[in-house]
Amino acid sequence: MFNQVMRKGRRLAGIGSVVAALGLAAPVLAQDKEPIVFGGSIPLSGVFAFAGIHIHAGLTDYTDWINSQGGINGHPVEYVMEDTAYEVDRSVAAFKKISGNDNLATYYGDSTGFMKAIASEVNEMNSVLMSGASFATALTDNEQYPYQFIPGPNYSQMFGIILEYIASQGEGGDMPTVAFVYSDTEFGKDPIENGKARAAELGIEVVEEIVTKPGSVDVSAEVLKMRRARPDYIVFHGYILSPINEFMVQMRQMGLDTQFMGTFWSSDKLIIDKMGEDADGYMGVMPYNYYDSEEGGPMLDALRTQAEQSDPEAGYRPTGYMQGWFNAMVWTEVVKRTLDAGKELTGDNMAEALASIEDWDTGGIIGVPVTVKNMSFPVGRIWRVNAKEGRYEPVSDWIHLD
Amino acid sequence: MDWLFFGEISLAGLAMGGLYALIALGFVIIYKATRVINFAIGEIMMFAAYLFLAFAGGMEMSPWVAVPLAVLGGALLGGVIEKTMIRPMLGESPISVVMVTIGIASILVGLVEMIWTSNPQLLPSFLPREPVFIGPMYLAPKIAYGFLIGMSVLVLYLLYFRFSRGGVALRATASDQAAAYSMGINVRRVFNLAWVFGSLAASVAGILVAATGGLSPQFGIIGLSVLVVVIVGGLDSILGALIAGVFIGWLETVAGAYLGGEYRMPATFAVLAVILVLKPYGLFGTHEIERV
Repeated sequence: MFNQVMRKGRRLAGIGSVVAALGLAAPVLAQDKEPIVFGGSIPLSGVFAFAGIHIHAGLTDYTDWINSQGGINGHPVEYVMEDTAYEVDRSVAAFKKISGNDNLATYYGDSTGFMKAIASEVNEMNSVLMSGASFATALTDNEQYPYQFIPGPNYSQMFGIILEYIASQGEGGDMPTVAFVYSDTEFGKDPIENGKARAAELGIEVVEEIVTKPGSVDVSAEVLKMRRARPDYIVFHGYILSPINEFMVQMRQMGLDTQFMGTFWSSDKLIIDKMGEDADGYMGVMPYNYYDSEEGGPMLDALRTQAEQSDPEAGYRPTGYMQGWFNAMVWTEVVKRTLDAGKELTGDNMAEALASIEDWDTGGIIGVPVTVKNMSFPVGRIWRVNAKEGRYEPVSDWIHLD
Repeated sequence: MDWLFFGEISLAGLAMGGLYALIALGFVIIYKATRVINFAIGEIMMFAAYLFLAFAGGMEMSPWVAVPLAVLGGALLGGVIEKTMIRPMLGESPISVVMVTIGIASILVGLVEMIWTSNPQLLPSFLPREPVFIGPMYLAPKIAYGFLIGMSVLVLYLLYFRFSRGGVALRATASDQAAAYSMGINVRRVFNLAWVFGSLAASVAGILVAATGGLSPQFGIIGLSVLVVVIVGGLDSILGALIAGVFIGWLETVAGAYLGGEYRMPATFAVLAVILVLKPYGLFGTHEIERV
């Protein structure tokens, strides 16, 4: 009798073990599906490394987070990258290597130069959707770059948002004047012609236009020109830090009350960290909420939790991190929409899925629902530096360009 | 024509040119004594500026202590480079030595990225911030005080070369190495001294230029602008370095102000092309220079 009970018990225990094992295996079985690969040419070294390191962290953390949520429709996500040192030839080599993987669906390009150089190959492959660090206006040309998109507004649209804000500051029909200062690079020149056209449409006079070498340069002569032009606003583009600081400090020393604004890569917290009190009042256009903003939302909260979990010592996460995370978020949405429609992950199908994004709730990463237009997300907000608090604070509503 | 504007622009250009002259001096001292074209001069400047950042920013030392320490660090770096990497190349072809200096530049950039990361940096403010007016003309305070410091260093150098034993030994070695050696001058030591003094001048200029325009691992590219200065002035002429430095600084600034920032470099390279056609050895250079 005792033996019978024991045998039955053992059998039940065995069945229980199998059931338990199956139960535990259920999510694993779901993840037994083919992985979906996010590739990337990432500048972990070289001139763009200051952002590349954080972009990489954003992509890595998002991948970990989405896998913890069961992947994309049960497909696990793999993030495969190579360091490119921000050199086009190395980025191309990395792409060729990573694109050897049959499961590659989306790819992070580290520069406009690379994304343009690789376009014909991406078009021919028709199997990868690409975005990255570039907000170049040219990449929103669907004819030439049908499988590449901008993870925010392009540079011309950023100028559009800035100019709309400036126009809104005009009082009693007295429109403020503006000056453009940009670096003598493809990046720097990108939005200038469109910016001038948009300023003319809004009735804003562009009183000065200055081109400088990028990076560490003496701008005393250029500041003297500004002293004569006396613009109400200066919009910088094509810089990370210098010479924005020199313009601000020297013009304030001259007693001018010009306000200073910049585009995405000129609007990181780096400006506050390096300039300190001198950064007070500087404004930037940003499509994403800052990591330390008072805004919230389910995805923004998830991002903060994941960031803290992956590196508790890191503290504040720069805009590069937000940008990396948002890129991967869009890829996930696109892949999911394509799979849900029962379609293959081809370039055409993914581009179509991207174009179908309308009033998409990003869970607080962007503060308003967004709609894709011409392969970009033409939305942003103006933020101003509060040097005392050591952060950017919003000074406009979200501006969604039509 | 707005003459006040022209005057202000010229003043800013001349002041910047003074710093170019100081860097060019560092370049010429090394070339004159050792016949080595030092392509790492920009990176030595950069390294000294980062040392200043570490001393004044990281360790929060007073600028009065941090500046001399950083300058000495840059000078020491020059001496170490000469002793460990340039001296073993004695007798090798000039192109090999040039390649070594290019390699050193690369190593210094890598080292700086490893220690201070590739983030752009601003040096802690150490120059007065009150606007400077010369009559009705405005001059940015950093440029004005940078120019004054740079000129003071230049004058000290000229006095040292004219009156000190070390200066005489340096000039003697530059004129004729064999004769200097036979007269009992320790030529190897003079070579080392030239690198130390050249790097010291570059270090002072590096800190002053970085204080004006910011600092990053790409800062050393300014060495290219200075290459134009020394070729225009004459690779082995201290007077040429001073005159060409001030002139190129002025020209670059005036061209940038009137033609646009994108014409700064074309303007200076146009002058370089004309000088090379008319005077292939530079305005004040001697004829036996071998070009590489």
